[in-house]
Amino acid sequence: MAKRITIDPITRIEGHLRIDVEVDNNAVSNAWASCTMWRGIEKILRGRDPRDAWLFTQRFCGVCTTVHAMASVRSVEDALKLEVPLNAQYIRNLILIAHALHDHIVHFYQLSALDWVDVLDIPKADPAAASRLAESLSPWTRNSKNELKAAQDRVKAVAASGQLGIFANGYWGHPAMKLSPEINLLAFTHYVQALEYQRKALQVVGILGSKTPHIQNLTVGGVANAIDLDSQSALGMDKLEMIRSLLAEVVQFVQQVYFVDVCAVAAMYPDWFKIGSGVKNYLAVPDLPLGSLGTEYDLPGGYIRNADLAGVKGFATAADPVFRQSVTEDVVHAYYQGEKPLHPWNGETEPAFTGWQAEQKYSWVKAPRFNGEPMQVGPLAQVLIGYSQGHPLTKKYTDMAIEKVAAIGGVHATPAALHSTLGRHAARAIRACMLAELAQKHWQLLVDNISKGDYSVYNAPVLPSHEVQGVGTHEAPRGTLSHWVVIKDEKIKNYQAVVPSTWNASPRDHAGAHGPYEASLLHTPLARPEEPLEVLRTVHSFDPCMACACHAFDPAGRKIATAKIL
Amino acid sequence: MKSILIGGMGNVLLGDDALGPYIVHLLATQYAFGPDVQLEDLGTPALDLTHRISGQHAVILIDCISTQDHPAGTVLVYDKADLLSAIPAQRLDPHSPAVSECLLAAEMLGVCAENVLLVGGVGKCFEPGEPLSEAVQGAVDKIIGAVLGELWRLGVTAQRKTSSAVSERWWAEQIVTSASLA
Repeated sequence: MAKRITIDPITRIEGHLRIDVEVDNNAVSNAWASCTMWRGIEKILRGRDPRDAWLFTQRFCGVCTTVHAMASVRSVEDALKLEVPLNAQYIRNLILIAHALHDHIVHFYQLSALDWVDVLDIPKADPAAASRLAESLSPWTRNSKNELKAAQDRVKAVAASGQLGIFANGYWGHPAMKLSPEINLLAFTHYVQALEYQRKALQVVGILGSKTPHIQNLTVGGVANAIDLDSQSALGMDKLEMIRSLLAEVVQFVQQVYFVDVCAVAAMYPDWFKIGSGVKNYLAVPDLPLGSLGTEYDLPGGYIRNADLAGVKGFATAADPVFRQSVTEDVVHAYYQGEKPLHPWNGETEPAFTGWQAEQKYSWVKAPRFNGEPMQVGPLAQVLIGYSQGHPLTKKYTDMAIEKVAAIGGVHATPAALHSTLGRHAARAIRACMLAELAQKHWQLLVDNISKGDYSVYNAPVLPSHEVQGVGTHEAPRGTLSHWVVIKDEKIKNYQAVVPSTWNASPRDHAGAHGPYEASLLHTPLARPEEPLEVLRTVHSFDPCMACACHAFDPAGRKIATAKIL
Repeated sequence: MKSILIGGMGNVLLGDDALGPYIVHLLATQYAFGPDVQLEDLGTPALDLTHRISGQHAVILIDCISTQDHPAGTVLVYDKADLLSAIPAQRLDPHSPAVSECLLAAEMLGVCAENVLLVGGVGKCFEPGEPLSEAVQGAVDKIIGAVLGELWRLGVTAQRKTSSAVSERWWAEQIVTSASLA
């Protein structure tokens, strides 16, 4: 008899991911992914000036503010056929890269590593042995016995206090935990160090964007960064040097720590290369444009159907005609009115809340489809699409990851093994290494272009009176993001955002096809169904992020009993 | 110099959730602070909040509160011990680590601000595009009083500005949707 398990963390008033699984003979037999928040922000954009839209859209989400600002200005630029100066492209690219590096580091260490790392096992580790092991894996200079011992002491202090504090919600001692005490200690030491390096990446976003969260330097047609090499108040050599040195530190952390840790975890959990594949259709858009017109990119895009890597199709541009024509959203199982799947330019967002019903409507997330099919998006999609097209940078780090996993654990992984829970983690680390290299490249491109005497950052937009449509895409940390705008009489007539987690957290569609989260959970074995750690591992591997936009502090959900009433 | 952060949290586009950033906006337009006080609209931060509360002498956070235990507009104050007593929720996405988790992380690293106070108003309506509800609007003076009181306790005074120029909130501009757009 199947048993239903619901994972529904009440972290906010609403706006989070809920997962329901049916478990039969200690394996998942059915799954539902749903979002508990109504996303209606698009509606308030109607009637506004399209040049202002990005200021509003970056409030869609508190974590990925930058990406929604970027996709928004790109959508209006696409509608107006507006060129963007080279300096503006490079500055935007550096912001996107720094944001993504920050996001990937946070995701692995702070949001998912403790699914694999048993914190309460750390007091048993021998710091000297852990340090020797670390030195055999990486040239990283902060793996000394003293550094590891200090991290171990932090865990001991928390454990000794009797209250687990920040670690109070883990499945410690779970039979699915397999790492040695030394590897657990090493990963935790890097968990602590990661907080420093993600902050440095964020500083780069802050310097170029003037503020984070909510960057202030964008504008339709370019950026608002004044360039003057001799001025301290503009973007000059001192700021560029600061950015270079911050990026250099982040790059080193990504390549010597994050990448190595992911390979080590993968080598110790080889079974997870066979679990969690799900939807094997993949979609990614090209990003990091190299010219003012957006015809050449440093990250490739395209799509793959049914795991057919050889049959990969590439996209020539970030707003490729095939992409423009092929996206629809289905609301049969989502809490919205409507019958037929609609193209985003004709999209509607009229709520029709029914409460969670397994066979009917059960999510606030719409079901996006590409040529009618569900697609998996994210670093795995981008890596598989790049690798299949022979993209040199993708191939370099993918092959390096395969070799590293084999060297550590004797596990021979192939690109096909990437269709899995571990594959998603590995692909994110591969992508982070690619972005680390590209950070340095785009910094140099910017400096070289400025050195030629080109200080241009902006082309003024001209709004036509007739109706125009545009799509702005961005390959965000969680995958393909697209903003779709219709402009008429210089005002926004319609606006729809199809966000990465909408693709991945998609509910079933009219044909009953599962979305990627749901499909990836089917057949997952559970050692202890009452502690569904394995479900969390697979869901976390996608880096889920429900466009959470609401922040009301919820003392009941956080179980805080005390407050003073004024 | 003892640095103090006054941070408003919430989404300005979602009704009463704008309370935190709105209070910061009012404080910035109506009062002058010394260089050791920083005012910021923090938006809806997740784990990055850890960096903002680290290394500060004091942090005053202003947020909207969601609870059925008190009527809308009630002003509630949580001190550091209250916030640290929270049991973290299971993390499913990057938004799950919120105020309490960030405090717990900063505390574990030994970098948490010595003084932390969260001043909140119980909210009523969180719909996109809605203004602050009347109940929450009615709590604004009391919340500003609580923030200034905490500053006073920390030994910092704020000067009321003499000019009454109040800048408009960019997010509150009303849009008249004409029939021709529909």
